[in-house]
Amino acid sequence: MESLGVLLLHPMNAYLEQELDRRFRLIRLWDSPPDARADFLRSNAAAIRAVVGNAGYNADSALIDALPALEIVASFSVGIDRVDLAKCRERGIRVTNTPDVLTDDVADLAVGLAIAALRKIPQADRYVRAGLWKAKGDYTLTTRFSGKRVAILGLGRIGLAVAKRAEAFDCSISYHSRSQKPFPNYRFFTNVVDLAANCDVLIVACSLNAETHHIVSREVIHALGPEGVLINIGRGAHVDEPELVSALFEKRLGAAGLDVFEHEPFPPEQLIGLDNVVLVPHVGSDTEETCKAMADLVLQNLEAHALNKPLLTPFSGKRVGIIGLGRIGLAIATRVEAFDCPVNYYQRTKKEYPNYTYYPSVVELAANSDVLVVACPLNEQTRHIVNREVIDALGPKGVLINIGRGPHVDEPELVSALVEGRLGGAGLDVFEDEPNVPEALFTLDNVVLVPHVGSGTHETRQAMADLVLGNLEAHVLKKPLLTPVV
Amino acid sequence: MASAIAAATAPPTGAQHSVLLLRRANDYLAATLRARYRVLSFYDSGAPLPAFLAASAALEPEPPRAALVVGGGAIRLDTAFLDAAPYLRCVVTTAAGLDHVDLAECARRGVLVAGAGEVFSTDVADHAVGLLIDVLRNVSAADRYVRRGLWPVQGDYPLGSKLAGKRVGIIGLGSIGSSIAKRLKAFGCVIQYHSRRPKDGVSFGYFHDMISLATESDALIVVCALNDQTRHIVNKEVLGALGKDGVVVNIARGGNIDEAELISALREGKIAGAGLDVFEKEPVVPAEFFSMDNVVLTAHEAVFTTESGSDLCDLMIGNLEAFFDGRALLTPVLPK
Repeated sequence: MESLGVLLLHPMNAYLEQELDRRFRLIRLWDSPPDARADFLRSNAAAIRAVVGNAGYNADSALIDALPALEIVASFSVGIDRVDLAKCRERGIRVTNTPDVLTDDVADLAVGLAIAALRKIPQADRYVRAGLWKAKGDYTLTTRFSGKRVAILGLGRIGLAVAKRAEAFDCSISYHSRSQKPFPNYRFFTNVVDLAANCDVLIVACSLNAETHHIVSREVIHALGPEGVLINIGRGAHVDEPELVSALFEKRLGAAGLDVFEHEPFPPEQLIGLDNVVLVPHVGSDTEETCKAMADLVLQNLEAHALNKPLLTPFSGKRVGIIGLGRIGLAIATRVEAFDCPVNYYQRTKKEYPNYTYYPSVVELAANSDVLVVACPLNEQTRHIVNREVIDALGPKGVLINIGRGPHVDEPELVSALVEGRLGGAGLDVFEDEPNVPEALFTLDNVVLVPHVGSGTHETRQAMADLVLGNLEAHVLKKPLLTPVV
Repeated sequence: MASAIAAATAPPTGAQHSVLLLRRANDYLAATLRARYRVLSFYDSGAPLPAFLAASAALEPEPPRAALVVGGGAIRLDTAFLDAAPYLRCVVTTAAGLDHVDLAECARRGVLVAGAGEVFSTDVADHAVGLLIDVLRNVSAADRYVRRGLWPVQGDYPLGSKLAGKRVGIIGLGSIGSSIAKRLKAFGCVIQYHSRRPKDGVSFGYFHDMISLATESDALIVVCALNDQTRHIVNKEVLGALGKDGVVVNIARGGNIDEAELISALREGKIAGAGLDVFEKEPVVPAEFFSMDNVVLTAHEAVFTTESGSDLCDLMIGNLEAFFDGRALLTPVLPK
């Protein structure tokens, strides 16, 4: 196997760099002086099949264009806003990131920054170190963190972990995300300004993309108000930084705790002198334990790619959620893995599948998948397992695929969701009252309807017939049945 | 002298009870007290304490039966004090700690004592968690780094240490310790504790002695009262057992830790860091700490939020009213 040529874009982790060097053919982008970069890339282009980037330096359009042999971008980060995803899709370049391993650390920092900002811990530390406690007496009164109303922008892995921690401080939780999530204790807001107006602490925990650029706008900052606190552990570009700076300076916003900035490593000058902000240099996932776990994920993803095995944490494909990971479910998983789709699943008992993410309920599975596939047997427990709640969680961008049985799905609910656009689309092989198909579906542009043809190939029907005949013969001849169910 | 005392008290109105005020009161507290009671304020009187107490005895129509006192070493309710103020029947203390009140003497004389109850637990617990995260994740140190303009010059800040899975040893599992435990569990920490006796109905691992707790912990949080048994409960041996990756957080009393040993343990890399809200000789903080990047220092302020200030004021008034009405105290320390 020819060693995978990997281009590392910037020093980011000593262990990662050392292992990349050991296991692959490592090329360091900073070995070339900045003005000779184009030539450097040209001379190495044929060898570079992989790029390793991070939050600050990643595979943008120009870089991808300069690397015709590029096959995979493995990011040392969970956020991949600096990877040109459209171009990767176009070129068939696979993308991996490092989800889950850093969730705890980032959530810990978010809450740590909230306490630090409200209780002014770094400011008090400065006060003590300057000898002011002795000279001027007690430090100022601050405000309690426990019981504050905490609002979270984005209720993904990190957002949920933040919520869980804040709940231990008796904080009430509200959130905004693209679609409502199955957490009845958390108040959902469709509008970010309303979210900000109804909270004390706003924590940014969503991914950065075209829709969330400057999601914390002047209006949102105004709604947060002079007692409000903003915590940003997402990306600098989530916030209109000049607006934030002037709001803090003029005390139109109470306080902020910031791990990220629009132009790292340069936080706005005016923030440096302010006493109502805590500033840390993008350390969200910066613990020994987590960085090693992130590095290992990058390395394992690259190795999987080199050996033509499924990627561990692909970002590129649609997230496929499978209800029931039996023979059929597993076969579906193996196929979609080849498209770099991350695989999620639900079933009665959790099994150990290292590359597949388990969800303890169908609603949570639906909330975290783009495509939901029904692949479980039909019985009393699974009748209408796809109900209104599940359909709502799948949402207006979600797609339902049913190759199980019609009664797995609450059909009237499905039909109205499709007609009203509450569900993005569906591919249906089965129906509650075959051969009758709800007529309302016929005129829809967002469904594919097939007449129970799942096993309808010559080869398979032949094999099925042979099994039926073989079972009958075994029975007659008093031999063991071939495929007994009971 | 008498005139100074008189000047420091409100004019009598009707049947108002008198109360000794033995602390610097903020405006809100002072106003609330003065609205209900005739207040004899020690700090406003400018008199030495014995003289103030003697003069208060002569107050008409009756001497103050209750006193409001703060902790922190300024005034000690000891034998000398109680001898000088035999008319006192109830002490309401505003501090979280009780090391400034001689409880045995008060019990002997039948003096009622009301404490701060759980008013401070929430804020102290929040502060303790804030300090622990700060120490493990270098929040204050990284904030300094950014403000000094070092980020573009020296690059990424050195890595911190993850909270999840850390074994946190809580010294003293009372109201504050339990609040801390509840919070840290949500961060995935493993909670264990040491106290005089194991607590009923608590599932956390109990350690009979400090050395074994420290040996099996990644972080120690000091949350116990200060008394003869707990002075320097964190000493050289305990720090040694905690080890070079271990951290200490103290939101109890400076005297709970052997400060000199702590400084040398930090200096020699025998432990990894510390978060300290209290010190042995406040407000003097040993200058040796100032050059350490792995230490977070706050000014005995774990309790000081506007919310606890207002909760405390309500509680003190509530205790005074209960005493004067002959009802049971809201948050009695004595009688137990």
